[in-house]
Amino acid sequence: MHRVSKLSFPLRPAFFLLAPLAIALLAACTPDNKQSTFGTAGPIAKDQADLFIFIFWIAAVVFVMVEAAIIYIAIRYRRRSDSDKLPHQTHGNDRLEITWTIIPVLILAAIAVPTLISIWEQQNHVPQDQGEVLNVEAIGHQWWFEFRYPDQEVIVSNELHIPVGRPVAFKLESQDVIHSFWVPKIAGKVDMVPLNDNYMWMIGDEVGEYYGQCAEFCGIAHAHMRFRVFVHEEEEFQAWLKGMHTAPDAPAAGSPEESGKNLFAANCSSCHTVDSTAPGSYAREVSAQQARWNGWISDIENSGIVSAPNLTHFGTHSTIGAGLKDLNQKTLEEWITDPSSIKIGTRMQKHAAVYDTPDKTAKLSPSEVSDIAAYLLSLKPGSTPAGETASSVGGDADGESLFVTNCASCHSTGDDTIVGPGLAGVADRAGSRVAGQDSDSYLKESITNSGAFVVDGFAPVMPGFSHLGTDSIDALVTYLKTLD
Amino acid sequence: MTTKALTFPRIFPRPKATTGIWSWIGTVDHKRIGTLYGITSFIWFIVGGIEAIAIRAQLATPENDLIGPEMYNQLFTMHGTTMVFLVIMPLSAAFFNWLIPLQIGARDVAFPRLNALSFWIFLFGSLIINFSWLTGDAPNGGWFGYAPNSGITFNPGLGMTYWIVGLNVLGVASIAAGLNFIVTILNMRAPGMDMFKLPIFTWMTLVTSVLIVLALPILAVAGIQLQTDRIYGTHFFNSLGGGDPVMWQHIFWLFGHPEVYILILPAMGIVSEVLPTFARKPLFGYGFVVFAGIVIGFMGWFVWSHHMFTVGLGPAANTAFSVSTMLIAVPTGVKIFNWLGTLWGGSIRFNTPMLFSVSFIAMFTIGGLSGVIHASPPTDAQQQDTYFVVAHFHYVLVGGALLGIFSGIYFWWPKMTGYFLNEKLGIANWLLMMIGFNLQFAPMHWLGMDGMPRRIYTYAENMGWETSNAAASAGGIILGIGVLIFMINVWYSMRNKVEAGDDPWDGRTLEWSTSSPPPPHDFDEIPQVKYRDDFWFRKYPETISEYYHDHNEHDQAVPSGAQNDLEEENLPVVSGGSDDGHGGIHLPDMSYYPFILGVGVAGIGAGFLSNNAVLFVGVGILVWGMLGWSMEPVNDPEPEHD
Repeated sequence: MHRVSKLSFPLRPAFFLLAPLAIALLAACTPDNKQSTFGTAGPIAKDQADLFIFIFWIAAVVFVMVEAAIIYIAIRYRRRSDSDKLPHQTHGNDRLEITWTIIPVLILAAIAVPTLISIWEQQNHVPQDQGEVLNVEAIGHQWWFEFRYPDQEVIVSNELHIPVGRPVAFKLESQDVIHSFWVPKIAGKVDMVPLNDNYMWMIGDEVGEYYGQCAEFCGIAHAHMRFRVFVHEEEEFQAWLKGMHTAPDAPAAGSPEESGKNLFAANCSSCHTVDSTAPGSYAREVSAQQARWNGWISDIENSGIVSAPNLTHFGTHSTIGAGLKDLNQKTLEEWITDPSSIKIGTRMQKHAAVYDTPDKTAKLSPSEVSDIAAYLLSLKPGSTPAGETASSVGGDADGESLFVTNCASCHSTGDDTIVGPGLAGVADRAGSRVAGQDSDSYLKESITNSGAFVVDGFAPVMPGFSHLGTDSIDALVTYLKTLD
Repeated sequence: MTTKALTFPRIFPRPKATTGIWSWIGTVDHKRIGTLYGITSFIWFIVGGIEAIAIRAQLATPENDLIGPEMYNQLFTMHGTTMVFLVIMPLSAAFFNWLIPLQIGARDVAFPRLNALSFWIFLFGSLIINFSWLTGDAPNGGWFGYAPNSGITFNPGLGMTYWIVGLNVLGVASIAAGLNFIVTILNMRAPGMDMFKLPIFTWMTLVTSVLIVLALPILAVAGIQLQTDRIYGTHFFNSLGGGDPVMWQHIFWLFGHPEVYILILPAMGIVSEVLPTFARKPLFGYGFVVFAGIVIGFMGWFVWSHHMFTVGLGPAANTAFSVSTMLIAVPTGVKIFNWLGTLWGGSIRFNTPMLFSVSFIAMFTIGGLSGVIHASPPTDAQQQDTYFVVAHFHYVLVGGALLGIFSGIYFWWPKMTGYFLNEKLGIANWLLMMIGFNLQFAPMHWLGMDGMPRRIYTYAENMGWETSNAAASAGGIILGIGVLIFMINVWYSMRNKVEAGDDPWDGRTLEWSTSSPPPPHDFDEIPQVKYRDDFWFRKYPETISEYYHDHNEHDQAVPSGAQNDLEEENLPVVSGGSDDGHGGIHLPDMSYYPFILGVGVAGIGAGFLSNNAVLFVGVGILVWGMLGWSMEPVNDPEPEHD
């Protein structure tokens, strides 16, 4: 009946078991790591880390007691031979069992008290008494972050700038899937849930650059949905805000930057805005971003338009691809040529007409790519003071440049189809399509309310351009009527 | 009204084969069904393990492009889905099937054909989900399937449809099995076995079955909604149509947290059988352990939102679910202390099953403690969706559930086959699994605290995550070798048979009283039960007074039967009590209809994935199977027992 080999507890294996644990524990103290939740730089992350350490030590004591008990029991009560007499058949001990039910309750109560205090401190109200609150709307997109400063009318992508020591109140949003907003060194994460806006706040205690990353699985490029947070001294932050309202200097005639500017206007500008420095441009970008989203969601397969990062003053950024690579001429050229060599799954490469090639690399020569990169890197606050430069839209409206900036990535001026129909001879066609409507009003309505007349065989993907303003639209229509 | 009038035209004759494939397809024997569950889910365990190793291979080095993000997302989705639904749940079901009738002194489960049906639906459901690999379009939205990323807008193609249809099919199997075991345990106990004489594994099976019957329909609700979202364009969870993605999370975790206890309670039951046997002492505080299990099963319903602390439910909800989550640690802690109490003062023999069970306590404790850490929402805000959580639940599900299951395999293998598994290979198996497991998952704690999110297919070089990831990947390989040794052990032990006899471990419960392997009818005579651990006290009657004397002094909940026995000085009867006569053994006859019904359910699932013609064929087979089943008597009018 007892035909079993006699084995004492294998102590040596137990040692081998504990050795890797011990080594790993030694390697655990890494507060310098970029996304370490220790070595914090803000009160929220610090509270969270302190609470972790408090609970950790309680857990460590329980852990050591339980494991020590196991080892002690295993040695002390091991069966030395099969002739050992039967142990006492204890059924239990109520007093003991009630004790070890109550003790955990007390321990957990000790953990619960600081936990609940932290919850209500962190999740209830923004601390208004700790400085002027900065409002930021953070929006998760597949797969990049957009940061809007509604009070300052500033929009920036993937790189958040905040002043040191001041509370920042976030409204967290998403249009597509659930993302999660997380800057480990400054504050734990809160999800960005479509239809369910969330609110959180943080304070950056130390000037510096911090890493953030999307923490909720959001699809193919989830691993590459990252961002940076720059905590500035107050003056520096104000200077940054001012810079975001200062237009870049115009590129010199005949420079690569100028060539890049035209190429960008023709190939990139229907999704990427670069001119959010002028007054009124904030509202335009908000509605343009919404229009891009509507364009994409209404025809996901064929859309030539997709929500895209605002590239105003892109030359001041430190990274590309949502915090993936350092920004420089070389990485930017790689990115423009073939985004998936850096980040697999970008919507840009799937939808933009310029990538409509068999191998999905850009329809641009190396020198064209280089020019675009040079242009983007040149986008920095210029020498003209804020507010004195007109944006490229509005003002003295030039129909042709408006067309290049706003329309040319989808419409050719000949007969070729890019995304939408070629516009050669559009004046004649426009006048004859709807009875009782002349070509002017037909074209105007097509531009402002793009869904009104969709030509057969084309998907309704064109965003509305009413934000251009009446003058610009008139100029555009005048220009369109010259095409034949 | 004769029997003839009720006879349904038989397309298949009643299966008679006792060997070969038809004997398995027609079987209604709980032991054979248990074996089918065991083999099937072990095959999926290998598949899920290969998926895990592929994941670890990809993450072994930074910026690795071994596996692209598309494949990676499929791998982690299928790894989670496979291990939860196709491995741990059905491996537990294998034990339920094999052991419950044997532990309660019954000849089969309450509904043997329903039992077979559960297995066939499980098999076909698992095939539906995994068939997606062959189409190249495996599910890629995570085992949690968060909306709207799992919806058709953001996840076109058939991948997630395979997933949700497969889960819906599997749910049917689980619910049927759960009902079956509830009825079996409540109604088919041997004479004298009142509820507080039930073996502890049977108790945990009962709690688990109740959880299954209550939790799986919730998944079915979410599943059917997501299925209609994906197939018919409804907007239950589609935020673009006004559906609420947070609702999916509530419904999923309202199922998902009880599911965690569905996964762990059976392993706790196994450990609660193994420890007393190898310590040669009764379970310390049987009543406390049973009530702790019931309390866990009850409180498990009030903690689901701790999976959602970062979703933005607000401070009030986070407070409530934080407190309830901390409270559920209490009954879990009680179990650990009671297991230690069981070992204390024992005469402990460290055979392979015991090594696994003691390791269960050691490792599960780690998982439990890290669980307490992120029961605190402010702390969890840093840990949610990081590798810290991955480490936590692998300590619970591998260090807990899987070690418990391996313990159970080594423990009951001799009962199931009549032969031992090799002890030396068993120790090698245990040692490699423990080293590999800890090397793989301990570093993930630090990875999480260092800010590495879950579900990323690669990571940058400058994050400080290289060493821990490399260690974890190495650990994964060692863990895999450990499992390989187990398979070698099975092969070796079947080649070199060492007879175990009926009671190799000096067991305590009724299954050890019958032969190894048990006869088709389990017991020649239905045992009469007088005591908890009845078989032990039959073997060691001198210990009865020791056990019950203490009991009377301290314990209010004295089993009434035992007290009476003592008063009457009624010493145990070694050879069972009542005698119906051997001619009285009635076993249910075999039937093909459970298999046919299973094919029908699978056909309906395949129809949702292809077209309505297939769907109607599936419904047709289902209806035909149901009619045939209902017209086929459990036993033919003239049983052919010898």
